[in-house]
Amino acid sequence: MNSTRRLLLGSALAAPFARPSFAQSGDPYVIGTLFPMSGTNAEYGTVFTSGAQLAIQHIEADRMLRRPIRLQAEDTQALPQQAVVGMQKLVNVDHAAWTLVGFTAVSKAVAPIGDRAKTVMVNGGAVGPDLSGLSPYFWNVIPLAHLETRALLPFLTRERRVKRVALVYVDDPLGDAILSELRNELPRNGAELVGSFSIPRTAQQFGPVAARVRQARPDAVYIASFGAQQSQIIKGLRDNGVSTLLCSYSAMGLDSVRSLPEAEGLVFTAQKMDFSGGDELTKRFATDFQARFNRAPTIYNANYYNATRMFGLLAQGIEQAGGTVNGETMRAALLQRRRFDLVGGTGEFDDKGDMMAAIEVLEYRGGRAQRLAG
Amino acid sequence: MIELQLLLGGLQNGALYALTAAGFALIFGATKVFHVAHGATFTLAGYVFIGAWNAGWHPALGVLAAMAAAVAFGIAMERLVYRPIGRHEGGFFTVFVAAFGVSIVVQNVIAMIAGRGFANVDSPLATATEVMPDLFLAPVFWISIVAAVAMFLALTIFLSRHPAGVALRALAQNADLLRAYGLSSGKLSVLAFALGSVLAAPAAILTAMTSGINEAIGNHVMLISMAATIVGGVGSLRGAALAGLLLGVAESVVLVFLDTQWAEGASFMVLFAFILFRPSGMFGAAVAR
Repeated sequence: MNSTRRLLLGSALAAPFARPSFAQSGDPYVIGTLFPMSGTNAEYGTVFTSGAQLAIQHIEADRMLRRPIRLQAEDTQALPQQAVVGMQKLVNVDHAAWTLVGFTAVSKAVAPIGDRAKTVMVNGGAVGPDLSGLSPYFWNVIPLAHLETRALLPFLTRERRVKRVALVYVDDPLGDAILSELRNELPRNGAELVGSFSIPRTAQQFGPVAARVRQARPDAVYIASFGAQQSQIIKGLRDNGVSTLLCSYSAMGLDSVRSLPEAEGLVFTAQKMDFSGGDELTKRFATDFQARFNRAPTIYNANYYNATRMFGLLAQGIEQAGGTVNGETMRAALLQRRRFDLVGGTGEFDDKGDMMAAIEVLEYRGGRAQRLAG
Repeated sequence: MIELQLLLGGLQNGALYALTAAGFALIFGATKVFHVAHGATFTLAGYVFIGAWNAGWHPALGVLAAMAAAVAFGIAMERLVYRPIGRHEGGFFTVFVAAFGVSIVVQNVIAMIAGRGFANVDSPLATATEVMPDLFLAPVFWISIVAAVAMFLALTIFLSRHPAGVALRALAQNADLLRAYGLSSGKLSVLAFALGSVLAAPAAILTAMTSGINEAIGNHVMLISMAATIVGGVGSLRGAALAGLLLGVAESVVLVFLDTQWAEGASFMVLFAFILFRPSGMFGAAVAR
C-alpha cells in the first residue's frame, strides 16, 4: 500500500516533467543573429528575424532535430563595432553553432572571429561582392552585388536606352563595391558613369545632393544605400526635381520603400522567387508566413528562412550519421551534399559557399513589385 | 545657379536646425540641465504628427497634437527625471545618463508602436518645382522660413515683455537671487522645458514632410543642437538660432567646393573652428581665467 502510494505520488509530481519519447531533449542548439534591431536600419532586423523564426518553427514542427533550437539575438545596429562585440559573445558565451549575418561591413567585421572559432556564418542580406570566399565558414544564400548590377545594366541600356548613369552611394564597403562595378561594367554596356556622389551613413538631408545630381544630367540614378536612408534618398531626389529613372539593388525590397509614393517607377534587381507557384516547401513558407506575421513574405524573409533551414538540414544529416554538430562537420556536409531543397527551389552551393540564384529585374508600380525581366 | 540652389536649400535646413537648437539652448541656458532627451522630443513630435496625418486629422490639429506631445514630454522629463535627480545632488553625468536612457526608451517605444524604419508625411508641399532655370523650390521652403521667424519673434517678445519671460531670463542669470525675491525656480524650469520643447515640434513636422524621419533621428538632432549651442555661445538663444542656420547653410554650400561626402563634416568643421578660435561662441561671454 505504502509503495503504491509512493509510486502514485511520485508519478503525479513527475508528470509535468515527463516528455513523450519522440520529444527533443538536451541543450538547445544556439543560432545567433547579428542584425540591426535598433537604429536607422532596424527594419531589416525585424524582417531578417521573422524568416529565421518561421524556419525554426518548421524545423521543430517536422521534428528534424533531436535537440531544440534557441535563437539568440545580438543587436548590431548595422555597425561593425557592435557586431564584433555581439559575435564574440555568441561564440564564447552562447557557443552558437550557427550564426546569421547581414550587411557587408558587419559581415566583414565578424568573419575573422567566426573563422577562428570555426562557427558557420550565413549571410542572406548583404551583397558586397567581396563577401564571396570571405572564410570557409562564411556562406551566402543571396546573390552578391556584382551579379545584380550585371543583370540590371543590360536591361537599362537596351530596354530603357540609358546612356548616362549617376550613382548616389553610401560610404561603406557595399557602396564602394557598387561604385567599382559601375565603373567597370557601364562602359561594357555602352554607357558611362557621369557622376558618383558619396554620402555618409548618417546623412539625412539629400536636397543638396539632388542639386548636384541634376547638374550631372543623368538618364538614370543608381542608389546604393540601405535602411531608412534609401527611402530618404528617393524622397530627397524626387522632391528636389530629379525626375529621371531611379534604380537600385535588392535592398529596395522593403515595405517602407514599396509604400513610398516617390518610389513609383523605381527599377531594382532581386533574387527570382515565385511565392505563389512553385514547390510545396515554397507554398508552405508563403502560407505560414502570411498566417504568422499577417503580411506577405519578401525575398529577405525567404533568404533567412533558407539560411536557418540549411542548419536544420545539415544538422539532421550529421545527427543521423552519429556525428557532432559543429562548424567543421557542417562545412564538410555542405561540400559533400551541395544541393538543398529550399524556398524558391533547389539551392546549389559552390566551393566558396555561395548559392547560385537567378536574378530578376523588378519595377514598383502602384505599390507592387512587377517583373520586367529575368 | 547651383550656388543659389544650395544656399536656399541650406537656409531651409538651417531654419529647422535653428528651431531645434534654440529649444535646447533655452532649456540649458535657463536650467543648466544638459537635456540630451531633446532629440527624443523631436522624434516624438514628428511621429505624433505622422500618426495624426495618417489618421486623417486636419493638419492644424496634427500640429497642435505634436506641439502638445512635445510640451508634455519636456515637462515630464523635468518633473519626473531631472528634478528627482537634482534633489539628490545628482551631477552632470547622472543627468546625462538618465536623459540618454530615456531617449533610448522613447526610440524603442516608437519603434514598437509605429514600426521600425522610415516614416514620412506625403504632402505636395514638399515637392519642388522649377521656379527659374535649374532652381527648384518647394512650398515647404517658405513654410520653414516663416515658421522659424514667427517662432523666434514670438519667443523674443515673450522673453522681453512678459513677466514670466523676464523671470526666465533672470533664472538663467542667477537662480539664487531669483529665489531670494520669492519666485519659484521650479515653476520657471517647467516653463523653460515647455517652451524649449515646443520649438522642436515645427522642425520635426517639417522634417517629416521633407526628408522623413525614423525612430533614431533624435541622435542626429542632438548632435546638431549641441554643435549649434557651442557655436552660438553657451546660454545664448539668438546665438544658437544663428548657429543652427549657419550649420544648415554650411553643410549645403560646402558642396559647391567639395564632394557630397563632406556635407555633414562641414557642420563639424565650423564647430572645430569655433572651438579653436572663438571658444566662447558667437554671442557667449569670454570667461577670464
